[in-house]
Amino acid sequence: MTSTVTRPGAPDGPGVQPPVPLSPAPQESGRGGFAGLLDLPVTAFRSVLRSARKSPGRLTVIGVGLVVLALLTGVVGTIAVQDRKDTINDLIDRREPLTAASQEVYRSLSDADATSANAFLVIGTEPPELRSRYDLDIARAGAALAKAASDSEGVADAADKVNIIARGLPVYTGLIERARTNNRQGYPVGASYLREASTLMRQTILPAASDLYHIDTERLLEEQDDASGFPWFTAILVLGLLGSLIATQIYLTRHTNRLLNIGLVVATGATVLIFLWGTVALLVQSLLVSSGDEDGSHPVDVLVRARSAAVQARADEMMTLVARGDGAAYETNFQQLEPIFTGLLGEARGLLDGAAGAQVDAAQVNANAWLSTHKDVRAMDDGGAYSDAVKKAVDASVPDGSAASFGKLDEALVNAINIGRQDFLDDTRNADRALILLAPGIAVLAVVAAGGVTMGIRDRLREYR
Amino acid sequence: MKTPFIRIGGLRGDAGGGTSGAPSLRDPLDGIARRRRCPREGTPENPLRCKPPSSQQAAAAAYKIPKRLAAVVAAVGLLLAGCGSAGTPVDPAPVGHVQAPEPDGVGGLEGAAAGGQAGNCDTRSLAPSSAIPAGSTMAKIKQRGRLIAGVDQTTYLFGFLNPSTGNLEGFDIEIVKQLATALFGSWQGHVQWTAIPSSQRENVLKNNTVDVVVRTYSITCSRLRDINFSSTYYQAGQRVLVPRNSGVRGLADLGARKVCATKSSTSLTAIAQAPSRPIPVSVNNWSDCLVLLQQGQVDAISTDDVILAGMAKQDPNLEVVGDRFTQENYGVGIPKGQDDMVRWVNSVLDGVRSNGTWQQNYNEWIAPVLGPASPPSVSYQ
Repeated sequence: MTSTVTRPGAPDGPGVQPPVPLSPAPQESGRGGFAGLLDLPVTAFRSVLRSARKSPGRLTVIGVGLVVLALLTGVVGTIAVQDRKDTINDLIDRREPLTAASQEVYRSLSDADATSANAFLVIGTEPPELRSRYDLDIARAGAALAKAASDSEGVADAADKVNIIARGLPVYTGLIERARTNNRQGYPVGASYLREASTLMRQTILPAASDLYHIDTERLLEEQDDASGFPWFTAILVLGLLGSLIATQIYLTRHTNRLLNIGLVVATGATVLIFLWGTVALLVQSLLVSSGDEDGSHPVDVLVRARSAAVQARADEMMTLVARGDGAAYETNFQQLEPIFTGLLGEARGLLDGAAGAQVDAAQVNANAWLSTHKDVRAMDDGGAYSDAVKKAVDASVPDGSAASFGKLDEALVNAINIGRQDFLDDTRNADRALILLAPGIAVLAVVAAGGVTMGIRDRLREYR
Repeated sequence: MKTPFIRIGGLRGDAGGGTSGAPSLRDPLDGIARRRRCPREGTPENPLRCKPPSSQQAAAAAYKIPKRLAAVVAAVGLLLAGCGSAGTPVDPAPVGHVQAPEPDGVGGLEGAAAGGQAGNCDTRSLAPSSAIPAGSTMAKIKQRGRLIAGVDQTTYLFGFLNPSTGNLEGFDIEIVKQLATALFGSWQGHVQWTAIPSSQRENVLKNNTVDVVVRTYSITCSRLRDINFSSTYYQAGQRVLVPRNSGVRGLADLGARKVCATKSSTSLTAIAQAPSRPIPVSVNNWSDCLVLLQQGQVDAISTDDVILAGMAKQDPNLEVVGDRFTQENYGVGIPKGQDDMVRWVNSVLDGVRSNGTWQQNYNEWIAPVLGPASPPSVSYQ
């Protein structure tokens, strides 16, 4: 290893300068300013290597390396922890509410479909409670859609789905109003408008809403994975710093016959603290985020899917009666949805216990009651007792009617979903608290470690003067 | 984009050799770029030499902050100019083709009833007989306690669901009530109404889901191969329903325009076979045709005048035009093989036509729209 440049600042320890080979020197000095600039790091690197062969030089290199490593660890660790905190806060403040918004879009639109069909089955003028339920559904769908749209920016798939819903929804409400107008005048074309609206809802809008919900759920899951993974790079840096500190102390003990170097011991202590604090805090936080998923968002997802399937099945039950004999396709749809939501309810029961579990139990009981009523309704309708079938299906005052059972089922599911969301929020909020002061703590400890290294190495360097 | 290149040229000239550039004096931006460089080029003692003779520049030089601001603007301008065209404004929400909502199951000619009224078969029904012997089809229905009738709930005036009462009403519905009354003494509680789309009329009879189909059902040779028909209880003819201001006077004016009818109806076939070659559009129910016409997705509806009259009654902007160009004989559809049922239904229909019930029914539903008429004359095999 040779060099033509002797830097004035470099420590000149004992030992003889190796003979200088002449060849590269004139060439280098003759090179243009820019080419010379390129050579600077190479030159510096060589001079560092050269001085590292001598004890004081080597000590300086070790000291500088350790300080740099400590500061790097501090910066990387602080950023990683702050990033983690940001991710968790984003989960609480944005991601979860947005997933709830997209599920609200889906649910309220399915419910609007069911409610408008329900209103058609009622003879005479539309009951005010059905009218206001439909109005509420549409208003909620619109508000939730605006919320979901605000987040779809940059996610082409989600933006597509929001676009489809946003374009379809006004058309749907227009058709429903047209159906109402005709219905009020006693014109049978009103039922055809209702069916056209329902076709638009089922074939275009609801599939897009379902896709949007799935996209948002995926994004929630991804962010939870981000927030519960182990920060390997930071961990390697911390362990590397710790190893280097210990190795340096062993080296110093061997060469100076002194057992302890206070500065380096302080640095080691600070690093160990970073390691222990960071590991414990991150482990606790990861566990809490995971438990927020297991007890919160995952069961909520299952419940939401169960509820959507149930609402759609309810709409099918209505449309079968609206179609009156021409509704075989709707009934087939109902039969396909039935195992889906009963299966999902069973799955949710397996995931939840306590208050949420009790709500799912209630939901299951009412789902079974509804399904057996549905069989009666179908038997009545197929047996010619159409008006009895309609009464049993839509009249909420009939105690064992479909409307009452479905209402209770839906209510129990809403309660269970709210409990699950609360659990998610509690766990995730606690996960955030587990990281309290960790980011500034790492920064301070890293500075302490760097300071300790500086002190410790400087003490040893002084002995050479 | 000529000026940006001039500006860049001027700047380069400055950077390289001070005064070697020949900047356009009319371009204030270029001037600023030059003046900023002047002191560095070593002519601080005579700032006037650097000052471009433009009034804007003089103003900019007078104040320090505007000068800097102007310099920044100039720099940004140069940067943008260097990047080439600024492009066109972006449409934030591009919307191309808008798909109008459609009723479920909109199609074209597929499934049109083969062969219309024309055919060389005997469309006359079997001679009536009012007897209900034990073991006959009627006896089984009587034992069951209810007559299962396939009807329409979307054809205003003939078979429709009255939204204000929740009951099925219309001319066809009255015929079913007459059949049930003849069998049970009263129709109340003895009829199971099954609303069927017109495409399902043959199917529900072939698999015996219903006892009778009374649903604006034209007697045709091709249908007679699969099912039985009663005698004719109503005579209709195909015409055209169009918006009042459309100027269309019949199918002849509808070449290459969309005309709606229900799937597997004789009307759909008649539209497809019209010499003017309209484009047939098929749907499940007649009301769906009205939906399409009101939404402007079809230009006309063509089918039996009674059905069209029902639609015109729901929308005063529509009118029935042209002459009848087919003759449709409505009969009660009965499953193949049930000859006893055919004869019994014919005897009931004979009574309906002759005892004034038909006239009363017609006057109630049809006469207000299509004017007076009398029962069709019937002959048997």
